[in-house]
Amino acid sequence: MMGTNPAAVEAIGLSKTLGPRPALCDVTLELAEGETVALTGPNGAGKTTLLRCLASVLRPSAGEVRWFGRPARSDPALRRHVGLLAHESLLYPHLTLREDLRFAARMYGVRDAAASADRWLRTIGLESFADRLSSQISRGMRQRVALARALIHRPRIVLLDEPFSALDAEGAAWLAALLGDLRAEGRTVCFATHDPERARTLGDRVVQLRSGRLFEVRDGASPGRAPAAARAA
Amino acid sequence: MAAKLWWVIHKDLVSEWRGRQAWPAMLVLGIAVVLVFSFQMDLLPQQKPALVGGLLWLAVFFAGIFALDRSFAAEREAGCWDGLKLYPVSPSVIYLGKVIVNVATLSALECVLVPLFVALADVPLLERPGDLILIAALGNAGIAAVGTLLSALAAGVRRSGNLTVLLVLPLTIPVVLAAAEATRLMVAGDLGPAWWRWVQLLAAFAVVFTTAGTLLFELAVEE
Amino acid sequence: MKPWSKTTFGFRQIGCTLAVVLAAAALAAVFFVAPTERTMGPAQKIVYVHVAMAWLALAGFLLVAGASVVYLVRRDLRYDDWALAAAELGWLCCGLTLVTGSLWARAAWGTWWTWDPRLTAAFILWCIYSGYLVLRSNVEAPHQRARVAAVLAVVGALDVPLVVMATRWFRGIHPASPGMEPLMRVVLLLGVLGFTAFFAMLLTRRRAQIRLERLLACLEQQVEAGPPFGAGLLTPPTSRHGMWHGQETVPQRLVPQRSGRPSSIRDPRGSS
Repeated sequence: MMGTNPAAVEAIGLSKTLGPRPALCDVTLELAEGETVALTGPNGAGKTTLLRCLASVLRPSAGEVRWFGRPARSDPALRRHVGLLAHESLLYPHLTLREDLRFAARMYGVRDAAASADRWLRTIGLESFADRLSSQISRGMRQRVALARALIHRPRIVLLDEPFSALDAEGAAWLAALLGDLRAEGRTVCFATHDPERARTLGDRVVQLRSGRLFEVRDGASPGRAPAAARAA
Repeated sequence: MAAKLWWVIHKDLVSEWRGRQAWPAMLVLGIAVVLVFSFQMDLLPQQKPALVGGLLWLAVFFAGIFALDRSFAAEREAGCWDGLKLYPVSPSVIYLGKVIVNVATLSALECVLVPLFVALADVPLLERPGDLILIAALGNAGIAAVGTLLSALAAGVRRSGNLTVLLVLPLTIPVVLAAAEATRLMVAGDLGPAWWRWVQLLAAFAVVFTTAGTLLFELAVEE
Repeated sequence: MKPWSKTTFGFRQIGCTLAVVLAAAALAAVFFVAPTERTMGPAQKIVYVHVAMAWLALAGFLLVAGASVVYLVRRDLRYDDWALAAAELGWLCCGLTLVTGSLWARAAWGTWWTWDPRLTAAFILWCIYSGYLVLRSNVEAPHQRARVAAVLAVVGALDVPLVVMATRWFRGIHPASPGMEPLMRVVLLLGVLGFTAFFAMLLTRRRAQIRLERLLACLEQQVEAGPPFGAGLLTPPTSRHGMWHGQETVPQRLVPQRSGRPSSIRDPRGSS
């Protein structure tokens, strides 16, 4: 049931053509505030494209994306509400991890950026690697740094593109716990995954993309899954 | 806003210093060109004052284009575009940051090439440093403004190769012409209305294309 | 092919005929009406073509820039068709300007090339045109290509006045335009008009060709995309918020009719 508040993320009639084929066809999706939605679908279905459109990194060929009722493209300042973990790690090859996170924090306007970056390095357990270049660490570690970068400004909307892909079992458990924390904080999360089991257990709702079209998957909601939680802090 | 601009510039300078990909190649090319030109000028001593302007600016231009091409190399190669587009900053800030870094690059190049030219070819380029700096500053701004915008444009193109160079070359001919002529007049000691006209052209070019770049940058990098 | 007798004579046919007639008349005037110049002889007549070509090269560039700006605002690929057609023809005219200018220089001064400000500016314009076409050929996605080319066109358009100023000041002097008899001026004007009409005709024909190529490519993709999602892919999907940006709907009569009903697609919003 939809409250009177605008949904956190709305995609209205979203279509996008990249190259010869349409990547997204008339996708309409609403994410209520505090909801965690899992996005599944085969390779090439358009999950990355959809997430990038929701993050307003891609300009849609048709349709619109809205954050909290306001058009995403209307004001660059709105982007501080959104964090994206993309397919590529988005790390600069010639900056150390610490510098990369500090740069991200500064660009997002985080107060006390340097301390914040250091804190996040501790949280993801990479403090000892802080002065290494991103090319000198493993892919799993890069993924964690990229995640820190997506969350460093405490966004209300968190979009994750296959966050589990580069992580080992321990990392995956850590990430699952993190998703739980995000839900507890009332943030809106949408993550793409290949694994339907994970989608069911970690998401309040599962949607599926096939060839650019969106289908709702009847969620076998596990008991005890709380509905959309309190407002974001 | 100014703070974010500063951090963009800082990031680029640190990145370039560590990566050391563009500057060495640019310096080597610039020095090689200056050496060749100095040698040629030595064979024509009477025409040195007439030739020096054009040759200096050709050297700066060809070497500088190298660096411009690498403007968005990090973004293009590591897929960092998304990162820049996610930040709550106006794209113009990113554009201006890159332009300033490129102006600094070209200035550094000139700091190396001008003394080299003076030493090897014995031309009185440094007699009026203030005027030379004026010409150089405006010329650098113009080339950087166009080069950064077109580099961003070419960065999104997959098979770009040397596309930036091909595109920037014809567009920046007015700058090279104007700078060359202004330098020639300055060396000849003729700072009259003709000289001013060329400086005004340089200024007009810099202003027009910095403005255009600021407005068009978002369109250039959009996907 | 339709037999000649069945061709309808509409606006398009009249326009084309008129253009061809004007161009032919202009050429005839150049050869038969214009008086032979004293010093240069018949070779001077190249200037009638040269001036027309130069004007068309510049007009072509303005068209490219104009169409590009409209595309950037409206994101409709039809404007990009106009930009490409104008760019191709403009590039051609620019090349011909250089060739005719070179021939004239040879006849007048004995050299094949001269760094005369107008020729220099024309050469730079030709380089900008070439860059535009090269850039377009390196991008495949239609919208990305249109957008990138449009930005370049705007930058080029801003550059052209600066190029003209720089080249003119560089040489200091204008080459003295030889005084022309009134009759020569008339022929010059007629030449410009005739070639402009011909250019306009070629422009509209080429643009129509480009548009058909684009629609064909769109149709091919849709057919390739094919089942299992059924008929929904034979027409571009529409959204509540209007037409798919910049792609005309393929007219129904070009789409082969499918027999039977399309397989139903589960409504994402309703309960299944």
